[in-house]
Amino acid sequence: MTLTKTTAFAFGTLLAGAAHAAEPLVTADWVAENLDNPKVRVFEVSVDTGVYERGHIPGAVNLNWHTDLVDPVKRDIAQREAFQALLRDAGVDKDTTIVLYGDNNNWFAAWGAWVFDVYGLGDQVALLDGGRKLWEAKGLPFDTAPVDHADSAIELPERNNALRARLNDVLDAAEGRADVKLVDIRSNDEYTGKVFAPEGVKELSVRAGHVPNAVNVPWGKIVNADGTFKSSDEIKAIYAEVGIDGSAPVITYCRIGERSSHTWFALKRILGYDARNYDGSWTEYGNAVGVPVVNVAGTVWTGK
Amino acid sequence: MNSIAVRSAISGLVLLLIAAWAWSLSSEPSARNLVFSLLTGTVFGIVLQRARFCFLCNFRDFLDDRDPWGLIAIAVALGVGAILYFSVMMAWVPVPQPDRLPPNAHVGPVGWVLGVGAFVFGLGMAISGSCLSAHFYRLGEGSPTSPFALLGAALGFLLGFLTWNPLYLASISESRPIWLPFQLGYAGALAATLAILAVVVVVLFAAGRWSPRPALAPGVPALGRAVFVDRWPAVVGGLFIAAISAIYYLRVAPLGVTAELGSLVRTAGTSLEILPGTLLGLDTLRGCATAVKETLLSPNGLLVVGLVLGSFAAAFGAGQFRPTLPTGAQIAKGLAGGVLMGWGAMVSLGCTVGVLLSGIHAGAMSGWVFLFFCTFGVWLGLVAMRRFGWR
Repeated sequence: MTLTKTTAFAFGTLLAGAAHAAEPLVTADWVAENLDNPKVRVFEVSVDTGVYERGHIPGAVNLNWHTDLVDPVKRDIAQREAFQALLRDAGVDKDTTIVLYGDNNNWFAAWGAWVFDVYGLGDQVALLDGGRKLWEAKGLPFDTAPVDHADSAIELPERNNALRARLNDVLDAAEGRADVKLVDIRSNDEYTGKVFAPEGVKELSVRAGHVPNAVNVPWGKIVNADGTFKSSDEIKAIYAEVGIDGSAPVITYCRIGERSSHTWFALKRILGYDARNYDGSWTEYGNAVGVPVVNVAGTVWTGK
Repeated sequence: MNSIAVRSAISGLVLLLIAAWAWSLSSEPSARNLVFSLLTGTVFGIVLQRARFCFLCNFRDFLDDRDPWGLIAIAVALGVGAILYFSVMMAWVPVPQPDRLPPNAHVGPVGWVLGVGAFVFGLGMAISGSCLSAHFYRLGEGSPTSPFALLGAALGFLLGFLTWNPLYLASISESRPIWLPFQLGYAGALAATLAILAVVVVVLFAAGRWSPRPALAPGVPALGRAVFVDRWPAVVGGLFIAAISAIYYLRVAPLGVTAELGSLVRTAGTSLEILPGTLLGLDTLRGCATAVKETLLSPNGLLVVGLVLGSFAAAFGAGQFRPTLPTGAQIAKGLAGGVLMGWGAMVSLGCTVGVLLSGIHAGAMSGWVFLFFCTFGVWLGLVAMRRFGWR
């Protein structure tokens, strides 16, 4: 049963408020027991509109990833002032345990965890393992009441760009100038260049294929059927098989950088590897001029 | 023999089959919205049929006979629905802010395309004899016109998609959604909504002609007849519609009856490569969303199927299921009116339910604009039809 694994991470004994690194994953039961804990703040990061409003974990604050976690004008993560204001409003402090969860396999919750990490709060963040779907499947309650927590006065540091991979870092890995492993977490059809992107998505690249030297480990490989992460030993073995064992830094990427934060979370937080997320991902790399590309399938843009 | 017993049995059987279908769908946790939509649609269909809640016939009753009850039912549905909707929105979005519209609420872009679309939709209503939601429930009554109106509407949707991109570039891209609570606050917006509707009701009372309700037929229990055979009182119908709209918004999405029809047309048109590869901005706008279909069952599809089946059950029980073969004139009016309604609903992002009802409930200016121009189209259409002796 999948929960046997999560008990490994269950930290009912966690001293809320202690200034130590939070466990990376918390169980639904742990969250249910800590709903009234003032030092625990739960955030929902769902991608479908109206999901949070129609029922969220009691007391959870809504984070809209289209507006709250990104800069709505330029392609970037949320600006410091805006993100800080949001966290103050939600009452997050330096000693708050931040629990994130969401729909769609926690993809956007993991993206949120990465943004918190860049703003120096990574050690306080945990993901609700299995996300919204598991909470619902366990029959735990949802609430529709609006939440208003007492404000905090948290000061966010400037973002730590070292935690973020940029195009140049990826190019260095692609061209062998840096000893960095690349993980492409997209489907094999995208990786081999058979398709430019999954059916129905709007953000595209004009080149198909993958970054040279990248290995392909689709994100779903490290997830159980119920949406929880596999055990850390299993995850470790899956990556060891493709030569990623923590001895060299890792960069994860996908199409727009959000599913890859799910893998980034597993590598960095669960396994403790030196991992960075490349949020530009294939929509930046595959559109960049003059960069090397491996296109096994040979698909040509608008070619007949 | 078409006795009350047989009619009741068949009605009950249909409702039982719907329940069984809902039960069979409910095994998946993700299917809750599907089940809820099927059942809500069924109740919606029963209410529409029993209350004869048809935007056109209610308007025509007033225009022809000065019977105000149908329009009062609409006003009650709009006002009570707004009160219920506002209590939902005030919980979801406690402080109205720009760019933070209540989730999914049909707050559509307001511009001349909406006005033209609503006007054309109104003309189509007048010609075909019903709006789209009423054609769906009339399908359950065996109407000879409704199948052709819905066929025409599908064609109209196709024309809508074909004209969408130029209209989007010419106007819709610059049209902004106007959400009244942001301009006036929740209290102000609700007060304004209720005040306008109160004025409408007062005018209807003053201008209406009051006829006594027909006496009950002897031998039938009065309550049973009132519920299952006679048309429901306007206020009862209006209250039911208001509650259905708000509850469906709370649980699934705003009410609308064109999303599935539009999605079917869009999916077919896309796969046949008749439609442009990209419909500019369409998927980012609020309203009855059409999408290229990826799954067979959708909440909106089941809502509409439930509506038709619920209406059939109600009509059959009341002895009001009277299928007839269509005449040439009925086919022509259905098709012509349907095309106009389909085009209007596509460019307006919904119809009398999706834009007018769900919009006014949500405090959307788009709902009021649709109401105004659609009414104008209906009035002009009815007057013209009479002038040329087409009805």
